Amino acid sequence: MSFPGAFGRGVMQILKVNGIEKEFADGAFPGTLSALLDSLDVNAATVVAEVAGSIVRREEFGRTILEPGQRVELIRLMGGG
Amino acid sequence: MDELVIAGRSFGSRLLVGTGKFASPAVMAEALEASGAEIVTVALRRVDIDNENDDTLAAIDRDKYLLLVNTSGARDAEEAVRLARLARAATDIEWLKLEVTPDPYYLLPDPVETLKATEILVKDGFIVLPYINADPILSKRLEDAGTATVMPLASPIGSNQGIKTRSAIEIIIEQSQVPVVVDAGLGLPSHAAEAMEMGADAVLVNTAIATAAAPVAMAGAFKSAVEAGRTAYLSGPAAAGRQASASSPLTGFLRD
Repeated sequence: MSFPGAFGRGVMQILKVNGIEKEFADGAFPGTLSALLDSLDVNAATVVAEVAGSIVRREEFGRTILEPGQRVELIRLMGGG
Repeated sequence: MDELVIAGRSFGSRLLVGTGKFASPAVMAEALEASGAEIVTVALRRVDIDNENDDTLAAIDRDKYLLLVNTSGARDAEEAVRLARLARAATDIEWLKLEVTPDPYYLLPDPVETLKATEILVKDGFIVLPYINADPILSKRLEDAGTATVMPLASPIGSNQGIKTRSAIEIIIEQSQVPVVVDAGLGLPSHAAEAMEMGADAVLVNTAIATAAAPVAMAGAFKSAVEAGRTAYLSGPAAAGRQASASSPLTGFLRD
């Protein structure tokens, strides 16, 4: 069951991705880490992730289930000294 | 040039190069090539999810260069350990440039937190190359804790001031049982040559190359300077004196 919010929206589900709250409409919530990367258009090949404080390696992205409210960090190598 | 050995691995080059601040990935790749470096440093950062762009490090040939991920941005041991573990998960490389810099103005490394992080990371199987202030006692403490090198700073990161910590670095070189890599603040090839002439095992340069008007040519200049400095060190520099010492014979003058 869903209830329209004050602004007429459906129930939104939230993930905190790299410190930013990302809202997903009912049914659009990414079930796995791979689905989240696809929805953000991020190339998974160069990314390492942290979900709810635990490191997730690339090989595990497809089978890492996301739950609403979780904190997700997407990190990659950059130029540095 | 004689080989540099760090943690049992041999390298032909004694110049380590950072990958930050380059105008483009193509210039960076060309500069790395010109530098002859075999170890290059990189950082870990959050993906900009609202402005996704290409992987700028795709230009680095990972078969050719050992990626040394740094923990830049870490303000204490806990943050550094977290970054280190992410780095290992991202690269499958255990080599780590440990830097813990709580001070945003001078980016000076925190000795207490650096030692604390080292103890955790060495136990966890990392090959730790710590960035430190030029402190001979800290240097020995880190060596005892199992670091693969020590990397004392010449002057603050990116300042291009050259070697302002000379006498302390001389003591570190004299006492260290692990390779000494002079890191940070080397602004010119002559600074790099000076460090090598002092007996440093290697130097790490980023800003001086990346922000030069011609980074590729400057990378080549640093390569030559490091080689010259190392050769000079191995050649046993002649003694300096206060008075003149004639280079030509003092006999056989054309006078009575």
